[in-house]
Amino acid sequence: MGLKINALLKSPWVFHLSTGSCNNCDIEVLDCLTPRFDIERFGMLLAGSIRHADVLLVTGSCNRQSSIRLKEIYKQAPKPCLVVAIGECALSRGMFIHSYNCPVPLDKIIPVDVYIPGCPPKPEAIIAGVVKLIEKVKADKK
Amino acid sequence: MNGNDLLNGIRDKFKDDITNVFEKSETRVYIDITAESIVRFANYLFRDAGARFNIASGTDARDHMEILYHFIVEEINLLISLRVKLDKSKLEIQSLANLFEGANWIEREMNEMLGITFHGHPDMRRLLLSDDWPEGVYPLRCDYKEWDPNAIRDRGV
Repeated sequence: MGLKINALLKSPWVFHLSTGSCNNCDIEVLDCLTPRFDIERFGMLLAGSIRHADVLLVTGSCNRQSSIRLKEIYKQAPKPCLVVAIGECALSRGMFIHSYNCPVPLDKIIPVDVYIPGCPPKPEAIIAGVVKLIEKVKADKK
Repeated sequence: MNGNDLLNGIRDKFKDDITNVFEKSETRVYIDITAESIVRFANYLFRDAGARFNIASGTDARDHMEILYHFIVEEINLLISLRVKLDKSKLEIQSLANLFEGANWIEREMNEMLGITFHGHPDMRRLLLSDDWPEGVYPLRCDYKEWDPNAIRDRGV
């Protein structure tokens, strides 16, 4: 595990999954990748497939149809896989908590490592959250 | 043609089917009609009056179910909303999907959300609800109750 975590932290590849969000969090995630915020300077790269990714970024409120797909995606991810919940919907379902279509929050479906609140969170907040995640994993390793 | 001519024409042609006409403003008219006449009405507005079908909307009004069919006559800038009131014991109406394709999906949505049956619809499959949703549970009805024992409805604090 030590080698794997070491390799993971050097350049974590992220996979971005929207489980029924309003797309605003997704826009902020894309903002992180653009040259203005340039998350690549931390070695992070957007992966096209979960099978190539180390970090799973989840946005949206996990509705009944997408939570099944979310579980499948998480199963396909190479372990160790870190999960980052982005935005109020992914944290607690936000205003959709009483919706007929959103029965359980994200962290009851898959284990979540970092929560980034906000509606939507700023790109700075996302970068800060991911940096905190890396620090947390480094601290756990020691 | 202006709005008054069109409305007078509708009043003459369908005087037995109209229960009420409410002119909210110069550009917005609500016409209450009987459920049996909806196909004739839609046919007239769409084919003869040059109206465009915008959308339909279904509402649970507690003592009855209500469907609004919104038609826009663009050349005179008039939005006509046909209001059909359905008795809750008999939630069925003729489908408009064979008349114009735009009614297809909204009727599927009203079918699964409110439980209204559309007779003659070409393809009444589920549109929005998930695959494991139970039959006969309609989420947008007023008397909808939580059916899932696994659902968590508090924030855990």
